[in-house]
Amino acid sequence: MRIKFWGVRGSIPAPGPETNRYGGNTSCVSIETRAGKLIIIDMGTGLMHLGNALMANAFGKGQGRATILLSHTHWDHIQGLGFFPPVFIPGNIFTVWGPGGSPDVLEGILEGQMDPNFSPLQTLKNFAARFDVCAATPSFIAEDLSIAAREHPHGKTTALSFRIEEAGRTFVYASDVGYPETGPDAASIAFYKNADVLLHDTTYKPDDQATRRNRGFSSYEEACAAAIAAKAKRLVTFHYDQDYTDDDVDTIVAACRRLLDPHGIAVTPAREGDELEI
Amino acid sequence: MKVRFWGVRGSIPVPGRTTNRYGGNTSCVEVRPRNADPIIIDAGTGIRKLGKSLMEDSFGDGKGSASILISHTHWDHVQGLPFFSPLYRAGNQVHIFARQRDLHLEAVFSQQHDAAYFPIPLSAIHGDMHFHELVEGARFEIGKAKVTCARLNHPWVAIAYRVDVDGAAVVYCSDTAPFSDMLLGKDFIERPSFGTLPPPIRDELAAMRADIVALCKNADLLIYDTQFTPDEYKVRPHWGHSRPDDAIEIAREAKVKQLCLFHHAPLRSDDENDQILAHYREVTSADKFTLVSAYEGLEIPLGDQ
Repeated sequence: MRIKFWGVRGSIPAPGPETNRYGGNTSCVSIETRAGKLIIIDMGTGLMHLGNALMANAFGKGQGRATILLSHTHWDHIQGLGFFPPVFIPGNIFTVWGPGGSPDVLEGILEGQMDPNFSPLQTLKNFAARFDVCAATPSFIAEDLSIAAREHPHGKTTALSFRIEEAGRTFVYASDVGYPETGPDAASIAFYKNADVLLHDTTYKPDDQATRRNRGFSSYEEACAAAIAAKAKRLVTFHYDQDYTDDDVDTIVAACRRLLDPHGIAVTPAREGDELEI
Repeated sequence: MKVRFWGVRGSIPVPGRTTNRYGGNTSCVEVRPRNADPIIIDAGTGIRKLGKSLMEDSFGDGKGSASILISHTHWDHVQGLPFFSPLYRAGNQVHIFARQRDLHLEAVFSQQHDAAYFPIPLSAIHGDMHFHELVEGARFEIGKAKVTCARLNHPWVAIAYRVDVDGAAVVYCSDTAPFSDMLLGKDFIERPSFGTLPPPIRDELAAMRADIVALCKNADLLIYDTQFTPDEYKVRPHWGHSRPDDAIEIAREAKVKQLCLFHHAPLRSDDENDQILAHYREVTSADKFTLVSAYEGLEIPLGDQ
């Protein structure tokens, strides 16, 4: 699997020189499988830049297909969809697996984003590509890979985490995760168990987390504790608070390394444009 | 008064090294009359940082009052509102003005806060929000400022605002297509065609244009949607945006004193914006107005200070 980061920021895009190094676009990660298939996780503003890159190959000719895994439908995870050029090319096929348990409800929520009061697109029906919406189940097959999904608490709602396995290697995406003060339960740790790469929500420094626990995000300490308990091989930090500068993120990454080095767990910060081979 | 730009981009925010100088936030302009409450035009992502700066003042104590004039409710003009800190402090008064839609404005803005999309419902906001629905041609006062509005040519309809205060006038014309090739309203146009317009449509566009020229008459500053280059406009006339050429024509006819290029295309780099400005400064070198291009942090003083 080859992972690429297109958007690593939480809540709202954060333009400005102070976010140049890690990037200011909201959540979007792509995975190219060994068989050359494409899985996209979340549709934040990073999706526009992924889409522009995809237009150079099969997607530009209407011969592309991809699976999109959607953790939840908060703005910062869907805002890129209307600006994703491949959906305007007839022949491309997208299958979205998302939360809610009902494909109709999920499609209705995505449709609401395109409401004519808000978007010149007016409706998802104006996509030229095929755009199928499915409700994620605890396990399913997409792009010939077995994928597990697990609901985690996220403020007043929940967000899906995904576990993807290919040829004995495992990638886990766990963004927008807000554990109770007792931390992740045993089932969550089992979901992360032995992951080669655990991408985990590290929205906050612990001090900021203490005053904002109701928002449903993790501190880097909670992410590190989860990585240690699950015996993950590598932690990827992700979903940085919109007010954090690059220097703030440097602090988070350095703190993670201090916590995880003694356990032999590597740390890779998610940075726009970076790739990671598993 | 002072006019300050907090977001100058169209369509979608664009963080990154190529937008550092002009800025990547979507539309938001602050008009600050002398010794008076702020009048904010549009609530794109730029309003987040404006909100933070206001919180250092009376808004931080829950004693602030702001008016927000919304050109239209497309995402790039409202997306920042849930991140406008003064709304979350009890006591602050925020007045939202926008053109009436099929739904009441409060219902439109509530959708943005629906639990599916955002964790905090509109009903949980602590400051007092007041919604004011407008129609084209409406005139009203905000303190000592006089506000006038007129319709623009944009999908699902946008309106332009003129604010007269402190002996000067600023006009905000975004978003709009030129008034020559097609009338944009509620229809979804998949493929545009250029051709002769039926007389009623042509007349409606001509009347709309005349109203805009009148709105801009002798303005000290005209802020205008110039998202497209001429080549880009040729393939996307139905997207509802103009070229600098269109803004310049209006500026000449209305005899404005300063024209500001605004609502930059998301993928336009800083260097490209520099080139566009340099080119059109040459084009307008014999004109009486000055030409600037909006960037985040640009502040333009007008009239009495």
